[in-house]
Amino acid sequence: MTPDHPHTPDPFAKRILERIKGERLVPRPRWEFVFKNYFFWTLGAIAVILGAIAFSAALFQVENAGWRLSVVTHESFLSFVLDTAPFLWACALILFILIGYVNVRRTNHGYRYPLLLIALGAVLTSVTLGTAFYATGFGGEIEEALGGHLPFYRPILVEERSWWVAPEKGLLGGRVLSVTPGVASFMLQDFDGRTWEVDGSDLRGPDLTIVARGGEVRVVGVPATTTAAVFHACFVFPWQTYGLVENGPLPVPLAFFSTTSERIATTTRSELCRGIRPYQELRTLDENGI
Amino acid sequence: MTDEEIVRRTLADKDAFALLIERYEAKLARYLERLGVSVREDREDVLQNAFIKAYRNMNSFDPTLAFSSWMYRIVHNEAMSFFRKKRIRPQVILDDEGGAIIAELEDEQADTAALAELRLSHDELVKALAVLAPQYRDVLTLRFFEDRSYAEMSDILEVPVGTVSTLLHRAKRALRDAFPKPFSS
Repeated sequence: MTPDHPHTPDPFAKRILERIKGERLVPRPRWEFVFKNYFFWTLGAIAVILGAIAFSAALFQVENAGWRLSVVTHESFLSFVLDTAPFLWACALILFILIGYVNVRRTNHGYRYPLLLIALGAVLTSVTLGTAFYATGFGGEIEEALGGHLPFYRPILVEERSWWVAPEKGLLGGRVLSVTPGVASFMLQDFDGRTWEVDGSDLRGPDLTIVARGGEVRVVGVPATTTAAVFHACFVFPWQTYGLVENGPLPVPLAFFSTTSERIATTTRSELCRGIRPYQELRTLDENGI
Repeated sequence: MTDEEIVRRTLADKDAFALLIERYEAKLARYLERLGVSVREDREDVLQNAFIKAYRNMNSFDPTLAFSSWMYRIVHNEAMSFFRKKRIRPQVILDDEGGAIIAELEDEQADTAALAELRLSHDELVKALAVLAPQYRDVLTLRFFEDRSYAEMSDILEVPVGTVSTLLHRAKRALRDAFPKPFSS
C-alpha cells in the first residue's frame, strides 16, 4: 500500500475502517499502558513491603513471647502457643502476598510467571525485608503501635505483662525501685503500678546481679494474695525485649556485689521456694540464663 | 511487510490497519467458529469488536510476542465475553477437522489391545468436545485446530506455559473419557 498504489480494503476491513473513522476512534496513548504496567508493579511491590512489615511484627511477637518461662506462665505448651502465635500478622502476611500476586499477575508479562514462583518470590522478599525491619526495631514499633489500636488485639508486650502481674500464681513483673544492702529485700513496682516489698533472702547468684542492675525484672516466688504486704522471691529473671529500639538510658545500677560473696556461691534455697512449680527447671534457667 | 511493521504504520495511518484485518480475518473467523460462535452474524460482530479493540489498544502491543498471539488473545477474550453476555454454551462445529486430535489420542492409546478396533467418527469427536469444560476445549482448539505452540498458547490464554501443559494433559484425558470405548477409561 503506497500513495501510488492505494490499497482497496475488502468489505469487512472497509466496514471496520469506516467505524473507526465514523466514531473518530484513535489508539489510546502509550503512556496509559506504561502507567498501568508500572502501577501494578508498584502495587505488587507495596503489598510485598506490607507483607515484610507484617512478618517483622510476627517475628517480634514470636521473639518476645517468653518461651523459656512458659513453664511458669502457662498450664500447657498448647495454651502458650495459642496465646502467643502471631495469627494476626500471619493472616496479614498471607493477605499481602496474595494482593502482591494478583497485582504482579496483571502486569504486562505477569501471566508468564507461575503462581508458585511469584508466591515464593513474594514470601522470600517479605521474609528477608521483614527480618531487616525487625533488626532495626521497626517490627516492634508496628506491633506495639498498630496492634495497640486494634480493638480485638493486644500487643505481645501488653499480653505478656498481664501474665506477670499474678502474685496468686507466684509471678510478679515490674521495675526495681530500690534495693536494701545485700539485697535482703527490694521494692518493686508491678506493671499495674502497685508497689511491692519483695523478700530477697532466697535469691542466689544470678538473681542478685539482675536485681542489683535494676530496671524491669520478672520474679518467680511463693504465691501470695494481692493484698499481701511482702512477696517472697525465689528466682529473678531479666525482662528483656528483643527487636525494639531502646528509647531511654540504661538503668543505673542499684547495688554492687562481691563475686566472693557467700550468697552468690550458695545455691540452696529454703523449703518455701523448693515447693514452687517447676523448681528444678527454674533453677536450671536461673543458672544458665534465659 | 511483517505484522510488526504494519502495526507501526497503523499508528501513523489508520488505513494501514486494513492490511492486518485482511491478513487475519479469515483465520480468526475460523477460530471463533471453533470456539463455538456458531452464527455467522455473531462471528462478524465479535470479530469486528475484536479488531476495534486491537486498534484502540495498538500502543499496548508488545513486540516481544507475536502479533498473531496478541490478536488471538483479543479475539478469545471477546468470544468469552460474548458467551457470558449471551449466556449461551459454545456450540461445537467442525468441518472436516479433528484429524490431528484423533491422531494424538490414538498415539496415546498405542499400547492398548483395542487399538485395531479404534476408529473415531467425526460426530463422536464433536459430541465429545461439546461436553468438555470450556477451558479444556480452548486448549484443544488452539493446539490441534489452530496449531499453536505452548508458548503461543500461554500468550493467548495469559497463563504460564506449565499451566498450558497441565490443561492440555487434562483436556486430552477429559476428551478420552467423553469418547465411547475404547478411549474412555
